[in-house]
Amino acid sequence: MKRLAAIAALAAIATATACGSTGTTDTATAGGVYTTIDGSKQINASAPINPFNPVGSVFSGYNGMALAWPKNDPIDPNQYYPAIASSWTVSPDQREVVIHLQPNARWSDGEPVTSEDVRVSIGLAYTQGGTAYALDPKAAGAAADIQVVDGKTIRITQGANRSSMFLSNLLSTVVVPAHVFGRLLPGDFWSTLKLAQTGSGQAAERAKSRITGLAEKVIGFAPPHDVSAGPFVLERVNPGAALLRRNPYFYNSRAIAPDKVKVLNYTGNEQIWNYLISGRLDNAPFTSVPTAVMERIQEARGSRVVRGYSPVSTAMAFNQAHKPYDNAHVRRALAYLIDRAQVTRIASPEGGTPAATTSGIHAKAARAWLGDGFDRLDPYRVDPAKAAAELRAAGMVLRGGKWAMPDGKPWKVQIHVPASFSDWVSAAKSISSQLVDHGIDATVVTAADYTLYLGELADGKYDVGFWLIGLGPSPYNIFQRLFGQANGWQMFGGRLRHVAPGTEGNWMGGPQVVDAGADGRVDPGELTARLNFASPQEQKQIVGVLARIANQQVPVIQLWDYVNTQFVNTSRYTAFPPDDDESLRLSSGVWMQLGMIKKRQA
Amino acid sequence: MTNAVRGRPRWGAVARKTGGHLVRGLVMVWVVATISFVIIREIPGNPVLGQYESLIQKGMSPEQAERATAVLYGFLPTGSLWQQYLGYMGSLLHLDLGRSLSTPGVEVTTLIGSAARWTVLPVLAGTLLSFLLGVTMGVYAAIKRSGKLGDMLALSGSLLHGVPVYVIGLLLTAIFATLWPILPSGGPVDVEFVPGLNPGYLGSLLQHAVLPVVTYTLASYGGWILAMKSNVVAVLGDDFILAAELRGLKRGIVFRYLARNAILPLFTILALSIGMLFGGSIFIEEIFNYPGLGLLLVNSITSRDYALMGGTFLVITIGIVVANIVADLLYTAIDPRVRSGGAA
Repeated sequence: MKRLAAIAALAAIATATACGSTGTTDTATAGGVYTTIDGSKQINASAPINPFNPVGSVFSGYNGMALAWPKNDPIDPNQYYPAIASSWTVSPDQREVVIHLQPNARWSDGEPVTSEDVRVSIGLAYTQGGTAYALDPKAAGAAADIQVVDGKTIRITQGANRSSMFLSNLLSTVVVPAHVFGRLLPGDFWSTLKLAQTGSGQAAERAKSRITGLAEKVIGFAPPHDVSAGPFVLERVNPGAALLRRNPYFYNSRAIAPDKVKVLNYTGNEQIWNYLISGRLDNAPFTSVPTAVMERIQEARGSRVVRGYSPVSTAMAFNQAHKPYDNAHVRRALAYLIDRAQVTRIASPEGGTPAATTSGIHAKAARAWLGDGFDRLDPYRVDPAKAAAELRAAGMVLRGGKWAMPDGKPWKVQIHVPASFSDWVSAAKSISSQLVDHGIDATVVTAADYTLYLGELADGKYDVGFWLIGLGPSPYNIFQRLFGQANGWQMFGGRLRHVAPGTEGNWMGGPQVVDAGADGRVDPGELTARLNFASPQEQKQIVGVLARIANQQVPVIQLWDYVNTQFVNTSRYTAFPPDDDESLRLSSGVWMQLGMIKKRQA
Repeated sequence: MTNAVRGRPRWGAVARKTGGHLVRGLVMVWVVATISFVIIREIPGNPVLGQYESLIQKGMSPEQAERATAVLYGFLPTGSLWQQYLGYMGSLLHLDLGRSLSTPGVEVTTLIGSAARWTVLPVLAGTLLSFLLGVTMGVYAAIKRSGKLGDMLALSGSLLHGVPVYVIGLLLTAIFATLWPILPSGGPVDVEFVPGLNPGYLGSLLQHAVLPVVTYTLASYGGWILAMKSNVVAVLGDDFILAAELRGLKRGIVFRYLARNAILPLFTILALSIGMLFGGSIFIEEIFNYPGLGLLLVNSITSRDYALMGGTFLVITIGIVVANIVADLLYTAIDPRVRSGGAA
């Protein structure tokens, strides 16, 4: 017992020593340590320092750099802030893009950032596939030629099958140092790529296989230490956090205030809430927060909330292959019965605004795309009389105060949601309760996890389920959620085809052609695909037609539009972006690059 | 047969027993590996869609999400289930658990090794601490069972035994990490300290372990104290205790007789608990962001990382099988009745 007591005493002394040293680590310096979290991934200390690895220890905007950073523009996906690329020129049809690199950009080991680095980065991106770097020459928006003009200029040409997203996809290219990553590309890589893109027959197929065969090697590559062109460079990482120190060679080093950045890891939202309540974080990106927790976060000294546009909406989607949801009258009836304001108040009071209508687009983007046309859409205000009329038009019958199927059989609305999404579960419960009040037998069914939910949804097992829509700013991405793969339209090798409901992931099961009133009979999937290469004027017209179809046919009921709710703490740093700033969805590292975030003076 | 001869271990029998245990253990590992191989591949769900939608929800653009998903799930196992099984077993014989899908390019053994480090510290420390505390307090609770101290100790055991581990964890976090922030609750060590045998790093390691260890200790303490109290009460009524008291043996010697006999069944449970520690403690690891095996297993299931799931299940199985063998051998060593192969 005496020995045990001695051990316990020693442990207590060591702990007390550690407690005493909490605030005085070896990194306390003038610029301070900026503490944040990475909203896009959890830290994995075993992963390599490699941006091609999806869980790699590379943090966008800190030690991970792209050619440029996307602005949060509601309708134009080609709006970008300069990063490694200081400027760019693009031909009107986006056939050719010329990129000029920052003249003073250097890697953290002092080597200059050159066009060769960009070329190698593009080569590595080809091994991973992707829109701009697809090996299939017929793929829309694939790059056809990469030319180094000089040490700081590079020209990229788009293939014959043009996409209006080409510039955007190019500028998103992550740039890595050729002197570190270049060895991953074999000597004959570029000739193999040429053969894969322009050749034919077995030789071209072999070339494609060789390039895609490099993918695993590229992902698994683990440089011994970080070489970054960003404002910070990784010092060390453990399962609880990553520590980055300032890169003295960063091209705009004077704009960077903190000496170090600490990126904390988390296993769930609750941990982020605790960090925020205790005032540990200088910034946390969008995190879903219940009202009670929000109040406690705001009580923390220096705590502030910055809100902005988030191009995502939550919707309740129908499987139109299942009765009675194949009937637009039934879908419209449900839209007239759901009080979206109440649903939002219960499910996402801080992170959402009730959808003004169902158009498939976030209200802010919808206004920009549709102008006055937005107000002409049916807002689907709660109207039980209209709902009853729609249900009768669908042949549904009211018996003993309960709505039943046209043949008199009971109508049971089962709303499916993943159990792990508390906001969706709350919303589904609110909706089911509202429907029950209006004589519709509705229940909520939860799936154990999101993976299972999406698997069963794709297999067509659900009648009604929750679904994210309105993924802007690209109009193609917005409507692809309603009239894309989930609804039977598939793009393969530059060709569009429609598959039967219940097959190949077509769980929405809508008709291929719909009667769009004044717009005539329309194939919405074909129109959506055209958004990829249409001119801005044509895009506007197509978006108008598709929004009207979404509003009249109601393949989904738009419930709420997300609000990007960022948390900042001004106790240690100031000059955070204001509400609705175009940089809001980017990391703090990018804010620093743009000249924001300054040390608070004592 | 004299007592001395009866007490001496018969090494041939022990070796035969150990050999038998090992063979049974290997068969058990093979059976579990086979069952888990089949079960994890039958788990419903679409991991590719799940990953893509999760990334979108985290604010990634559809293009970025599509790229990241394609990279992650470009290496899903192919071939028939039978072919995959043969490949899996072949690799297993070479101690190759494969590569992780959710941490691409990284060996499963590396991930398990890394997670095991962070599981062993809080769970082992918590298990041993709760055992020592529970056993000691259990003896006192039994001896003083008619007094207030005994009642209070037994009540504390019953209360803590009934409170779920996550409630204790959340409560301690709320008090000591949020309301009165004197202890850290996120991660196993402060990243600002240079890893190594330096006071800052070791101190931070201990500081971060306090809340998980205390949570685990409090959550397990109730079970130990109640079991020990019940065992001691049972032993107190045995004839040899009465005889010892009648013979006027000192209290300390009687206490030793008592404790030694009462603790025997608990050693088996302790050995099994130590074997179970390779399963980690999911709630504690989740609450305190302790990246141990429990969290690794949960994440591997969510992302349907077959290789990692199989590897983690296997490590847990081996831990339990080995613990069973050790418990059995330990019992042989510490209980003369078992060693002699019959009643004492």
